[in-house]
Amino acid sequence: MLFLALRYLLSRRRQTFLTMLGILLGTAGYVVISGIMLGFRLFIIDQLINNDAHIRISSREEPITEHSLDQDFFGDARHVFWISPPSGRRDNPQIEYAQGWFDRLDGDPRVLAYSPQFNVQALFRRAKISQTARLIGCDPAKQERITDIQRYMLNGKFSDIGQSGNRIVVGDGLLQNLGARVSENVLISVGKGNVVPFKIVGVFHIGMKTIDETTAFGSLNDVQKANLTPSQISDIAVRLADVGEALPLAQSWASTSRDKVQSWDQANSGMLSVFKTQDIVRNSMTLTILVVAGFGIYNILNMMVNQKKREIAILRSIGYEARDIILLFLVQGLILGATGGLTGMALGFAICKYLGTITVDPGRLIGGGGSMMISYLPSIYANGFLLAFGSAVLASLFPARSAAKLLPIEIIRSEGT
Amino acid sequence: MSIIAQKLVKTFGEPPTTALHGVDVNLQDGEFVAITGRSGSGKSTLLYLLSTLDVPTSGELEISGQNISDMTSEEVHRFRNLMMGFVFQFHYLLPELTALENTLMPALKTGRREERRPFAVSLLERFGLGDKTHRRPGQLSGGEQQRVSIARALVMEPRYLFADEPTGNLDTASGDIVMRILGGINREKKTTVVIVTHDPDYAAFAQRQIHLVDGTIASQ
Repeated sequence: MLFLALRYLLSRRRQTFLTMLGILLGTAGYVVISGIMLGFRLFIIDQLINNDAHIRISSREEPITEHSLDQDFFGDARHVFWISPPSGRRDNPQIEYAQGWFDRLDGDPRVLAYSPQFNVQALFRRAKISQTARLIGCDPAKQERITDIQRYMLNGKFSDIGQSGNRIVVGDGLLQNLGARVSENVLISVGKGNVVPFKIVGVFHIGMKTIDETTAFGSLNDVQKANLTPSQISDIAVRLADVGEALPLAQSWASTSRDKVQSWDQANSGMLSVFKTQDIVRNSMTLTILVVAGFGIYNILNMMVNQKKREIAILRSIGYEARDIILLFLVQGLILGATGGLTGMALGFAICKYLGTITVDPGRLIGGGGSMMISYLPSIYANGFLLAFGSAVLASLFPARSAAKLLPIEIIRSEGT
Repeated sequence: MSIIAQKLVKTFGEPPTTALHGVDVNLQDGEFVAITGRSGSGKSTLLYLLSTLDVPTSGELEISGQNISDMTSEEVHRFRNLMMGFVFQFHYLLPELTALENTLMPALKTGRREERRPFAVSLLERFGLGDKTHRRPGQLSGGEQQRVSIARALVMEPRYLFADEPTGNLDTASGDIVMRILGGINREKKTTVVIVTHDPDYAAFAQRQIHLVDGTIASQ
């Protein structure tokens, strides 16, 4: 029936072309939108994974609830009622037994590297401008092993921080907000500590405002000293050989430790839930386009069935069976779906390639080299094609079945012979 | 080999109206039979019952020794494809296909298109359409289209040819050509030809006439 189906389609070139165009645009739209969204998502995830730890072990934070203090005050009393129940948070400024963690991480083959950190909120001052930011004290050599920070340095090297000497590397946003320049000094005050001058030796730009405007790196010793808490560790940032193991590993460590252990995806669950919403929007939009295209196929084939009643009658009378008639119309839908889907994929790919060349910002805003990061995951293309093909099959199935149900004798009789 | 129909009854609709009241027909192989009668006498209904396109409400139909009610739908379709040809008043050609492609449609079903092509061409040549095999129906006159539909009915060299008012839509000259072709096939190939007509001149072409009045056979 392929021969006849092709003839039918070719004899209605305009209709065929317009229907195919609908499917083509639907598929291309899906491919482009998915490419952009997933590309952006990969970029964000890449940022999350590569600019922070896969797993972060940090000092314990424990909210105080109504019964948190029952044991301390009343021993084994069963029912304790407070007139004014206790509230607040018990914080530990440091990881209690950091060496235990170091031994454990050293002995674990799944751990690629780790970097002990001491993180504090600090007030940065330059002349009359003051700005709060997170000051991360770390060993630069170890930090470089767990993140790609060196890749994002605009000025200077990350290792310039050294082991001591009050040198810092700051985000370009923070640098701008302070109105400072590289090699200038800024005054930093941390908690109860004194005001300490630090020299800016480098600038990084990761591309995420939340990091670039509020983060500075210094050496572990210097930050510990500035806070008057030598040898304290507040965080251990861990990089794994396989990032996919982050969540189960974090959960298993958390269950055997009093410290807070979080994988990158737990820490960024808010961001990841945005991706789910994006997925819903993307899929429902594409589905809408394809439903419209599907209705196009349905309408055209339905009209064709009505126009072709006489021919269906003659085909049936010369020995064509009901399933041949189903095939005749189904094949048309399949051809429309397949060609529309394939050309849509090609067009989508071409548009994605073009979008990939657009420079968003002369700097390094989104993705490497300042251009948009587009995803070319095969699954996008497979999904796009399947959606187009599936909707075409579904849309042609109903007219095909109604055509097959027509009895030749009834058509002939209704024609007035 | 023959077509034997016994007590064929056909009723339509609700409340049922009876188009045929227990008709007995016996068609011998190689006969040329005309079914005549006024409009509404049931002649087309009888033709479609005899040609298996329609099923009787009651009664028996036996073709070439086979009882049609015992055959599966697939067998009936195959039987129709190989043994029967149809010509309708409205020729029902597929407008997307050329005259030759239309002629070969029954052969396409059984995958014998290439095998039957020379025969299809010879049929069209014989019907005076040798130079028009690649024209589409829209580029042919009514008479030419009807000749193409006869060629299509004959391409599988069927044993039976059923024609429902084949000249109904044609002018006299074209109608004469069509009737001569049908007569020729019957004589040369011994094909059993059954036509429905209300034109007494064309009915006279037939060896035998079955005259229907209000769903019963008045004479044969």
